[in-house]
Amino acid sequence: MSIAVTSHSGPAAAPPPEPPTPPVNYLNVSHTIWSWLFTVDHKRIGILYLVSISIFFVAGGAAAGIVRLNLLQPDGAIVSEDAYNRAFTAHGVLMLFFFLIPAVPAVFGNFFIPMMIGTKDLAFPKLNIASWYVFMIGAVCAVWAVLAGGIDTGWTLYPPYSTRASQSNVIPGVMGAFISGFSSIMTGLNIMVTVHKMRAPGMTWGRLPLFVWALYATSLIQLLATPVVAISLVLIMVERVAGIGIFDPTIGGDPVLFQHLFWFYSHPAVYIMILPGMGVISEVLTCFSRKNIFGYHAIAWSSVGIAVVGFLLWAHHMFVAGISFYAALLFSLLSMLVAVPSAIKVFNWVATLYRGSITYQAPMLFSLGFVVLFIVGGLTGLFLATLGTDIHLHDTYFVVAHFHFVMVGGMVMGYFAALHFWWPKMTGRMYSDWWSRMAAAIIIFGFFITFIPQFVMGYHGMPRRYPNYPAEFQFLNVMSTAGASILGIGYLMPAVYLTLSLFFGKRATANPWSATGLEWQCPSPPVVHNFEHMPLVVVCGPYEYALGVDQLGRGLPEPPGSQDDPAHRDGVTGPAGPMHKETEVVG
Amino acid sequence: MTTMNMLPLIPEMASDGARHFEALFWYITLTSSAVGIGVYIALLYFCVRYRRGQTTGSTPRILGSVRLELTWTLVPMFVFLTYYAWGAMVYNKAVHPPEDATEIFVIGKQWMWKAQYPNGQRVIIGGNPRNMSESERQSIGKLVLPMNRPVKLTFISEDVIHDFGVPAFRSKIDVIPGRYSQVWYQPTKLGEYHVYCDQYCGTWHSLMVGKIKVVEGKEFDEFLSGYAPLQGTQNAVDGSLAHEGRQLFLKLQCINCHSATPTGKAPVLEGLYGSRVPLKGGGAEIADDAYIIESIRRPRLKVVDGWEAIMPAYDETQVSAEELNAVVAYIRSLRKGTTPDRTERFPAPNGAPTERQQSPQPSGGK
Ligand code: HEM
Ligand SMILES: [Cu+2]
Repeated sequence: MSIAVTSHSGPAAAPPPEPPTPPVNYLNVSHTIWSWLFTVDHKRIGILYLVSISIFFVAGGAAAGIVRLNLLQPDGAIVSEDAYNRAFTAHGVLMLFFFLIPAVPAVFGNFFIPMMIGTKDLAFPKLNIASWYVFMIGAVCAVWAVLAGGIDTGWTLYPPYSTRASQSNVIPGVMGAFISGFSSIMTGLNIMVTVHKMRAPGMTWGRLPLFVWALYATSLIQLLATPVVAISLVLIMVERVAGIGIFDPTIGGDPVLFQHLFWFYSHPAVYIMILPGMGVISEVLTCFSRKNIFGYHAIAWSSVGIAVVGFLLWAHHMFVAGISFYAALLFSLLSMLVAVPSAIKVFNWVATLYRGSITYQAPMLFSLGFVVLFIVGGLTGLFLATLGTDIHLHDTYFVVAHFHFVMVGGMVMGYFAALHFWWPKMTGRMYSDWWSRMAAAIIIFGFFITFIPQFVMGYHGMPRRYPNYPAEFQFLNVMSTAGASILGIGYLMPAVYLTLSLFFGKRATANPWSATGLEWQCPSPPVVHNFEHMPLVVVCGPYEYALGVDQLGRGLPEPPGSQDDPAHRDGVTGPAGPMHKETEVVG
Repeated sequence: MTTMNMLPLIPEMASDGARHFEALFWYITLTSSAVGIGVYIALLYFCVRYRRGQTTGSTPRILGSVRLELTWTLVPMFVFLTYYAWGAMVYNKAVHPPEDATEIFVIGKQWMWKAQYPNGQRVIIGGNPRNMSESERQSIGKLVLPMNRPVKLTFISEDVIHDFGVPAFRSKIDVIPGRYSQVWYQPTKLGEYHVYCDQYCGTWHSLMVGKIKVVEGKEFDEFLSGYAPLQGTQNAVDGSLAHEGRQLFLKLQCINCHSATPTGKAPVLEGLYGSRVPLKGGGAEIADDAYIIESIRRPRLKVVDGWEAIMPAYDETQVSAEELNAVVAYIRSLRKGTTPDRTERFPAPNGAPTERQQSPQPSGGK
């Protein structure tokens, strides 16, 4: 659809013709390795994070490969029990602390928050690069722990196993998680202050893109919850070294205390992992269906609602850990309540598609994958939050399947959606349309084959963290491993075509998806200070696709995919000018 | 690859609690699937109906609808609350044992479960033989439970956190060092069921698995009173009447003649109980309690065909009536391959003060 906006209250009349890639941008402004390592440019820091977490994703994926291959046979196909325990711990620690938690906030938050709210940089650029160093120091500790023989406690680190019994590298592993936590706090703080203080003129809270709202809510959790895990990790280290009996009942401690402390962080942490993904989905679904989001306020506030209520239900991980009956009743009730905002979001996303004009490039496919998989993950959470069913399903493969549906099916899909959505902006290059759609399809398919069998196994009682299992579970385990292989291939594909795109990809225009956000106002790749002309005055909400205008009130370029249909070619525009369009409210 | 057996659609249900779980589980499954599938259908329909090729390219500016949003906030909330309420009822039942439940104590230890019955019988369930002592290995068996009667299990752990999970009963509970936890069942189906350790507890976590055996109430009573060797262990387990009898068997030196390496003097007693014994001079008798008691008190009365009448009589002063009971229980429990060897030295079973005090010398005759 091409709409020529001629008269509009915005500051600029028509979009200027796309200049060719500007000669100087944040990527080519300097080339030395030092210029990257000492950069304070939020975009370069985002890229540093992107490179590092990609490495951890591959490492964590390799550990998952060992786990899945070993489960091909009931008595363990490839490694010893000990090696298996170390592999699933490495997988959990790397994926959670070094991939999922930083993935969207540190890569895309860093890179795009300033651009989306119309500013030059984050509030504290030096803190930002420091956070990357802190993250890497934490990662070095974790990698050291793995290389020195691994940790065998599971990512949950329950004492007294982790403090007394385990013969493995608990201290360096815990140190890694502890240190990287500070980087999470720094990033959260930076984003919060930036969103509060540095929005462009006219960028009111009601005009913030939902991605920003989601990261704002995430930052709230990072800031408030991470110190608690830091404390509990320190206590684990102290206990292990000095044995003073904080968690050890033989000298007066209480192992359940650790579970409270741990989940008081780690439950909100699962929202650190999923909320950013939800933010991405809100951006992508609107863009590729050319629609205003349905229920902007509901989505924005449900993010904040999840962040707040998410603090109140940590003990639902402990229904069978001997907590009191009344505590269990309360935590179950609160868990039910947190499911509501998640449900609201799903309904809103689906409603957004209603009467849209939808195209299916890779970011859209990943986002639809997110919605489809997240529904399964969210609904199965209800079985775990319900007391009567959790007493059987707890600590079985049902739980494993549930959180993989949410975090891999949800968050990793969100991450890939973000990567594909913003890749042209970050690199200035387009990737292969066909290959990227194939990758999305393969990932979604592989995902179902991998994790659906795990629900069945868990329902039949197969416990998690088992290298050996009764033979009747073999068929489903083999199926799950087969699915994981497909999934692995799916995840490797983007590595290939995205890398190739850097060298052979078509040059991206400033706004290849014809999206409304301010980040699309910068050239691709952006110049060092993001915008050529500051300050910007924002006059529209974030998703005026129906009006065909961006946040500055300027007309959008031709959306991709329109050329498929001659009716929508240039000159053959649809109805009258956008400002005459009536606003419809259904219901 | 071994042949793969398939799982049934619904896992075995062997307790009252399992029935309640299933009802609730299917209620949640059906209602939430209905919603999920509804959303999928809407999603699919929109994706097909409103794809770019099917539209004019312009879209209506729909911002939301308070009425719709309220509906899809309140309706799910109501449905979730029904899950909550029903779930709380099932949980309430599951965590509050009835007064009259038989109590069994279980200690979790890397990597085995040590159970003890009210009368002192002990058995080790599951576990990994590789890290067990000889005597522990000897008492690996099954946890015997009665049909249709409530049993309450009280747990504590000796080292790290474990979890006692029984899928057929749809139940699990963490087993924690330093605090007691409890669970109860009312088994409703005869058979054998898996026990798993569900809380990660170290290297052999996955081998901390065992069996529960549900038997008729009558059989359970018999087992509790020490006769029936239902636990599937090789030997009479520690604390049972049969085990006491076994110690007497050694102490009284019955073993000298009735040993696994027959001296030619006396028959091996395994498998004797309940069998038909041919007697010298014709006739036969079923070896029941009375026959065995008689054979000990007055051995010359009925001599087994093919053997010399050389066994001494044991009177009240040598074997009390109570002890006699224990010896009979032991003989009842003897199964093929479980008669000790006379020259063998027996390690004292775990926590068996009687044996240690009496320091049996099975080969003392030498
Ligand atoms: C919003 C996205 C969600 C994320 C990121 C998430 C993530 C997770 C993770 C990582 C675990 C496993 C923790 C472990 O290792 O024990 C878990 C378990 C659990 N989740 Fe979720 N979940 C989400 C949604 C939900 C919802 C909507 C509910 C409730 C209605 C829920 C209820 C539970 C419960 C009760 C458990 C504990 C189960 C058990 O250990 O028995 N989750 N979740
Ligand atoms: Cu265990």
